Amino acid sequence: MAWLLVQLKLRLLRNGLRSSAQAKAGFIISSVIAGILAIGTFAGLAALRGNDASVDLTTVVYTVLALGWLVLPLMTFGLDGTLDPATLALYPLRTRPLAVGLLAASATGAWPLANVIGLLGVTIGLARGPLGLLIAVLAVLIEVMFCITLTRFVTTWLAGLLRSRRGKDLAAFMIIPIFILYETFVQVVPKLTASGKLTAHSFTGIDSWLRWIPPGLAAHAIQDASTGRAGTALLRLALLAAVTVVLGWLWITSLDRALVTADDSTRTSAVHGTALRFGRYGLRGTVAARFWLYQRRDPTGLITWVLTAVIMVVAAVSTITKPHYMVGLMISAIFGSAFAGVYRANSIGNTGPAFGLEAAALAGRRALRAYFTGQDIVVGGMAVTLLTVISFALAAVAKHPVDGFLAMAVDVAGTGAALALANMFAVAAPYPAERRVGSPTLRPAEGYRGPAMGSALGTLAGTAIAVIPVLVGVLLTSGDPAAIRMPVLVLCAGAYGIGLAWAGVSIAAGIGAQRLPEITEIAVRSKL
Amino acid sequence: MSEPAIVVRGLRKSFGPKEAVAGIDLEIAAGSFAGLVGPNGAGKTTSLSMMTGMLRPDMGQVLINGIDVWADPVAAKAVIGVVPAESRLFERLSGEELLEYAGRLRGLPAGEARSRSAQLLDVLDLTADAKRLVADYSTGMRRKAALGCAIIHNPAVLFLDEPLEGVDPVSADVIRRLLTRYVSSGSTVLFSSHVMELVEQVCDHVSIIDKGRIVATGTTDEVRGGKTLHQAFIDLVGSRANDGEGLSWLGSSSS
Repeated sequence: MAWLLVQLKLRLLRNGLRSSAQAKAGFIISSVIAGILAIGTFAGLAALRGNDASVDLTTVVYTVLALGWLVLPLMTFGLDGTLDPATLALYPLRTRPLAVGLLAASATGAWPLANVIGLLGVTIGLARGPLGLLIAVLAVLIEVMFCITLTRFVTTWLAGLLRSRRGKDLAAFMIIPIFILYETFVQVVPKLTASGKLTAHSFTGIDSWLRWIPPGLAAHAIQDASTGRAGTALLRLALLAAVTVVLGWLWITSLDRALVTADDSTRTSAVHGTALRFGRYGLRGTVAARFWLYQRRDPTGLITWVLTAVIMVVAAVSTITKPHYMVGLMISAIFGSAFAGVYRANSIGNTGPAFGLEAAALAGRRALRAYFTGQDIVVGGMAVTLLTVISFALAAVAKHPVDGFLAMAVDVAGTGAALALANMFAVAAPYPAERRVGSPTLRPAEGYRGPAMGSALGTLAGTAIAVIPVLVGVLLTSGDPAAIRMPVLVLCAGAYGIGLAWAGVSIAAGIGAQRLPEITEIAVRSKL
Repeated sequence: MSEPAIVVRGLRKSFGPKEAVAGIDLEIAAGSFAGLVGPNGAGKTTSLSMMTGMLRPDMGQVLINGIDVWADPVAAKAVIGVVPAESRLFERLSGEELLEYAGRLRGLPAGEARSRSAQLLDVLDLTADAKRLVADYSTGMRRKAALGCAIIHNPAVLFLDEPLEGVDPVSADVIRRLLTRYVSSGSTVLFSSHVMELVEQVCDHVSIIDKGRIVATGTTDEVRGGKTLHQAFIDLVGSRANDGEGLSWLGSSSS
C-alpha cells in the first residue's frame, strides 16, 4: 500500500509536469524554490556554529518550518490528491496500511527532501562530537516525521471542512498573515538588519518557551548531546517521538472517522436581513446592494482590502518616522488607491458565470452606466474610508496628524482614477478568471496572464499619472495656512476624483454596450 | 395557428474551424411548449445562447415576438427569460436576495420584486431555504432558483438549457408543473434536453438538432412519426452503439 501511494504521488507529480507549459513552469519554479530553501536553511543553520544564540535560532527555524508544514497544506489542499482521504474511501483498504501509505506519500517529493537537507544544517551549526552528530541526524528525521504527522493530522481532521464552502473561505484568510510575513521579511527585516536593530542576539531567550514545543525539543536535544548530556538529549528525543506517535494515533483515529463521515458542506448558516438595500435607487441602487453584500460575504473581496491596507503600511514604513515622511505618506496613498482599482480591473471576469444573470437583464449604455455607478459607489466608498483611516494613522505615527488631509486628497483623487481605469479595463480587456482549490485569490485563466498584467500595470501607472495634479497642488500650497489649504485640497481632489470616476463609467458603459455578448462569454468561461 | 413567438433564420456560428451551428431555421408558435433535442455537441447551447442575445452569431436573424434580438437587444431582453445550462447564480446571496436582485435588475419596483420573490420561493419549495446562501444549495435547488430568476419578470418567452439536468424527481416535478402552468397562460417555452421521455411528455413542438443543423422539426407527433421520440431520435441522428466486445472478464461468471 505504501509503495502504491508513493507511486501515485510520483505519478501525480509527473502528470502535473505534462499537463501544460504553465504547470511545467510551476513545477520547475517550485522545485527550484525547494532547492533554494534546502541550501539556504542548511547554510543558515550551519553558519550558526560558534554563535551564542545558536540553539535559540535553531529552535526558531525549526518552529517556523513546522508552522509552514501546518499552514501550507491547508492553503493548497486539493492540489495533492493523496492528501484527501475521501479520494481513497471507495477502496477496500484497512486504516493502518492506508495510514502508512499516506505517510509515505507525504514524505515523497521535493519539499520533504528539501526539509531534511535544510534541517541537517544543524550537523555543522549546533552538533559537536560523534554523539551530537548522531542525535542531530535522529532529531532531524523525527522532526520531519513530526511535521508530516502534524500536517496529516490537521488536514485529515479538517478534510470535511476544507471541502466545504465555509472551510475554503476560512483557509482563504490564511493568505493575510502569510502576506504580512512575506512583506515583513522582504521590506522590514532587511532595513532593520541594515540599521543594526536586528541581530542574532535579538533572538536570545526566545526559546525559553519555544524549547518546550516539539521543534524546540529537537534543537535542544542536539545541544544537550553536544555538551555531554546524553541522557537529557535522549529524553528530549523520546518526548518528541512520543508526541509524534500520539499525533500519528490521533491521525489514524481521525482518518477512520473521515472515511465514513460526510463533509461539512451540508451544514450551512442562514443570512440575516430580509431584503436588498437601496431599493429606492433603481438599478444603480440594486447593483450597489449586490456589491455591498459581496464585499462583506466574499472572502476574496475582504482579503483584497486587507492586502491593500498592508501594501499602504509597507510602502510608508521605511520613511514614516523620518524627516521626509511626506514621501512615504504620498507613496502609500498612491499605492493604496491604485490597488483599490487593480483588484477590480477585471470585475466582470471575476464575477464569473453569474454575470450571465446580469447580462440577461442589462442592455444598453444607460443600464451599464447604472451598473458601473452602483459598483463604484460601494467600492469607492469603502476604498476612501479605508485609505483615509490608514493615511491618518500613518500621519499620526509621523507625528504630523494634520498632514493626513494631504494624503486624503491623494486617496480620493487616486480612488476615482483607479476605479475609472478599472471599469475601462473590465470591459475593454476582460479575461476569464479561475480559482485554484484552497487559493484565496483569483488568477487569470491559462493564456490570459498578459491581459491581466496589462490591466494591473495600466491601472497602477494610470493612477500614478492621474494624481500628479493633486501632488502639484500639495507642493504649490505648502506655504499656505493649513486651515485653508487642507479643506480646499481635499474638496478639489474629491471633485477631481468623482469627475474621473464619472468619465470612466461613461467610457466603460459605451464600450460595454458594444461588446456585452463578448464580455459575457468571457465571464461565463471563468471557473470560480 | 398563433403568431410565431420565436423565429430563427439562417443562424450560423463557428468557433475557429469548427462550425457549431451551420445555419438553422426555426419557427415556434406563441403558447408552445417546444423542445430542442440533440446529442452532445450538436449545437443546442450555442443556438440558445444566440437566440437569447448572449452569443453574437456570425450570421442570421432571431426574432422574439417580432423584436430582432441583435438589432434591439434592450427590447428583446425585456421579453425573455433565460435558464442557462450551468447555473449562473450569485453564490453569496441568499435565495430570497437572489430572486429579488433578479427582479430588480429587470426593473421591478423593490416591493413588487420582494413579493414575487416570496411567492416564487413558495411555489418552488424553497421557502425553508430562502435565507441560506446559494453557495450551499443542492443542484436541484440551484436549478429551481435559476428558474425563479428567469421568470420573476413574467417574460413572454422562456429559454431553458437542460433545465432538469442533475435534478431529483421531486424537484423536476416542481419545475415541470410550473412550466406547464406558465405555458397554459399563453407564454412560450423553448428548452433543450437529453431526456426524450420528458420532451415527449410535455412538448407540443419538437426540433432535433444534429451537427449544427435542424434535422427534424414540427409537432411532437409529426417528428416521432408513430414511433417513440427516443427511437425517432436514434433513427435521425444515428446510433453510436458499441456493445463492449472485448470485455470478456466483465460479469459474475468471470473473475
